[in-house]
Amino acid sequence: MAGKRFVATKVEVEGREDTRIVEIPDFDPAPWTLDVPLEIVGQCVPRADAREKVTGRAVYTADVSQAGMLHAAVIRAPIAHGRVVSLDLTPCLEIAGVQDVLQLDDVKDIRYDSGQLFDHTIRFAGQPLAAVAADSWHAARLAADAAIVRVDAAPHAVTVAAALEPDAPQVRRTGNTSKNSPRVTQRGDVEAGLREADVVVEREFRTPTALHTAMEPHGAVAVWTGDQLTVWESTQGIFNTRSDLAEAFGLKLTQVRVIKDYMGGGFGAKNGAAASTYIAAALARKTGQPVRCVLDREGEQVDTGNRSATTQRVKVGATRDGRLTALVLDADVQMGVGGWFAGPGKIFHELYACANVRTTETFVYTHTGAMASFRAPGHVEGAFALERAMDIIATELGIDRLEIRRRNYADRDQEKNRRYSDKNLHRCYDEASRRFAWPMRREAAAGPWRRGSGVASVSWPAGGGPPSYAHVRVNPDGSVDVLTGSQDLGTGSRTVFAQIAAEALGARVEDVRTVLGDTERLPYTGNSWGSQTTASVGPAVRMAAEDARRKLLDAAATLMDVPADTLESHQSVIRVRDRHDRAMTFAEIGEKLRHVMIIGNGSRGPNPDQTALSAFAAQFAEVMVNVETGQVRVLRVVAAHDSGRIINPRLAQSQLEGGILQGIGYALFEERIIDESLGRPLNPTMHDYKIPTLADLPQIDAFFVRSSDTVANHTGAKGLAEPPIIGIAAAIANAVSDAIGAEINALPVTPWRVVSARARDSGETA
Amino acid sequence: MQLTINGATHDIELAGHETLLRVLRDRLQLTGTKESCARGECGACTVLVAGDGGPRRAVYSCLTLAAACGDVQITTIEGVAQGSVLHPLQQAFIAHDAMQCGFCTPGQILAALALLERTPMPSESDIRTALSGNLCRCGTYPNILLAVRAAAEQLHHGR
Repeated sequence: MAGKRFVATKVEVEGREDTRIVEIPDFDPAPWTLDVPLEIVGQCVPRADAREKVTGRAVYTADVSQAGMLHAAVIRAPIAHGRVVSLDLTPCLEIAGVQDVLQLDDVKDIRYDSGQLFDHTIRFAGQPLAAVAADSWHAARLAADAAIVRVDAAPHAVTVAAALEPDAPQVRRTGNTSKNSPRVTQRGDVEAGLREADVVVEREFRTPTALHTAMEPHGAVAVWTGDQLTVWESTQGIFNTRSDLAEAFGLKLTQVRVIKDYMGGGFGAKNGAAASTYIAAALARKTGQPVRCVLDREGEQVDTGNRSATTQRVKVGATRDGRLTALVLDADVQMGVGGWFAGPGKIFHELYACANVRTTETFVYTHTGAMASFRAPGHVEGAFALERAMDIIATELGIDRLEIRRRNYADRDQEKNRRYSDKNLHRCYDEASRRFAWPMRREAAAGPWRRGSGVASVSWPAGGGPPSYAHVRVNPDGSVDVLTGSQDLGTGSRTVFAQIAAEALGARVEDVRTVLGDTERLPYTGNSWGSQTTASVGPAVRMAAEDARRKLLDAAATLMDVPADTLESHQSVIRVRDRHDRAMTFAEIGEKLRHVMIIGNGSRGPNPDQTALSAFAAQFAEVMVNVETGQVRVLRVVAAHDSGRIINPRLAQSQLEGGILQGIGYALFEERIIDESLGRPLNPTMHDYKIPTLADLPQIDAFFVRSSDTVANHTGAKGLAEPPIIGIAAAIANAVSDAIGAEINALPVTPWRVVSARARDSGETA
Repeated sequence: MQLTINGATHDIELAGHETLLRVLRDRLQLTGTKESCARGECGACTVLVAGDGGPRRAVYSCLTLAAACGDVQITTIEGVAQGSVLHPLQQAFIAHDAMQCGFCTPGQILAALALLERTPMPSESDIRTALSGNLCRCGTYPNILLAVRAAAEQLHHGR
């Protein structure tokens, strides 16, 4: 009896694993193992859309213009907690050019990450309360400022400590902690592990709320044609956005079309419809005109998500030779008014070999903007605490800080007790430590500046999975289209898909164009999140191209009157093998076939059972610290990454460097600050919320160890977007602690923290 | 009044409060100039202005009133290439992959163009200073640095 055509498979996204029923592909392309010679995959092909980007022709959402389009502006709550007593929008309508207003009654039942849209119960400063639509951007802004909002303020809880007080103001009706709190995850017996230990260290670590701060704010342009809604949206997930909109407006999925062409960064904050999406669509429905709603910078910083602040109490036990006997984490995670549960605990279960691990995570609601995924959510926060603790215990034991990490190498995924598809972290340690020249020789201190070095390890689920689909079409002019409903966030997926298709089809890469980002006209793929896209969509693209190649060879066989199995396809030419005088170009075949189409179909097959599909890295940092002023300069970062086969080394390296730079921002400057008495954010601007500039750039040496994970999928590629940010803050804090001889256990590592850590620890270290 | 943008003259009625950024984007559909902060903090809206015969300098169009631009020549990203021939800076940005999402790229290129017209062979420190007012959240700075140096070399030696 034949096996089933549809099977269950598991897919892990940012630590959340779920089961999907998917079709087994009709054929399975031969795996691209390391010994398979590839010509286009693995090359530094220039970014496919680079010309559009350097000429200003790339069309981002805010650049989309429709005839008769109105501009929307949002009216926001001035307080953190309380209720709207009255909302007078008549002054808005008196301003020339204003066409309409939108308020709670118009959007009943529309919920987003922060709750009911335009809720009159205010739960964070900056919560949207209403919106206006006007002929011009300027009129819309004037009108938003003209609204008369009267509120009744109530006491608020904007910090975890305040929210956990016995009589704390309530953030949610269900209480200030999530229903799943405390979330306890354990293996082994940590009490026994701690008794077994020769040394136990116990510390508290703190990480800040960080803001995505994409250059392009959230935005949407909405147009209704009868009961058909079309939305241009800057999104990491066109199909998620479609589902969100269909649900909010009571439409069938196919009544909503979501289009995403270019977008100016997402980093996890743009995974579905946002307040701006619903406002654009609802105002467009109400006015009968197209509406553009693009957030201003302050709106972007207060209401589009953030990385959770954490307080992590960590206890680590180890034997005298540095083997871990117990890891215990008790963490409070700040949610704001909503979000999902990306705790710091998961990395404690997977990064190092340890039989006894217990993590306890309490997710706390506060009167602040909702949490959203932010590049490796949870892992970045957890890596900071765990990797600081590893350094502290190594120092206590007098063991080299890289050596203690090697001694606790995890060969298996201990969290789920299964194998890794492939793991080359030891090679990352080897290659990065060699390039970094670890251990650094300690120089005699000259003046107030001290040098220090640090290391951190990284793991991250990056195997992707189904469902994802692609078509590859050979056009009559010999050009090739890859059609797949995916997204390119600036990551390079357009380029990477074109390379995969060109390789599998035997086409020139310059002949291949990738068409993405349209729910109506392109086949399904999942969100571009969780370092998923290349490993999820790439195999579907490859299969579609292989399918197209078989059809093209069959067509050529008839046209050339030779058996198909004597033909080969290379550089957009089909030749009789060993008979180079008998050849036809794709264009010649297209001309002969005229409108007979060659279309290949591809899908992403299931993941291997009982196997963890992860990416790894070893990241090293060297810093210079002024012990008098507390100033920190990052001098060098060396990072070796294992993400399986790299489709385009140049684009991949750009992404590594970008993740490392975001990690430097998180390590040194980035922190949303809320005024505890007013309950309002003090730094919702790009001047006051500091992200790295070109002037902050250290020397970065980021590279990949050579590998191809063909157990994960037949292209051998895994994800690489999130791993580069995971260990950087930890490596930098370790380096600063090394430099000053005092422990830095909170982020960001501001001059004040450096100076106070020295003052605090001077008794022990002087 | 008249605005001269990329060599072309536009007759336009302007209100006193209109910024150059809004006029370029909303009224002239020159959407290559990007809005990210609208308060002079990020550099995404950078354009070049030059007085009569004077050098071109980079300004934040979000902080520039359009009505004050009657006597200057304005260059936006749409005016950097000569027809279909890209400027060496644009070519270098492509060759060195000095972009990811591309949203800050027009501003980066124009800020770099102003630098190279002022200082044809800038030091690394000159580039870091001149472009530190142009934020890139994707963190493409290493490649931007490489691209600007390569373009400077090419402009200096290549002609």
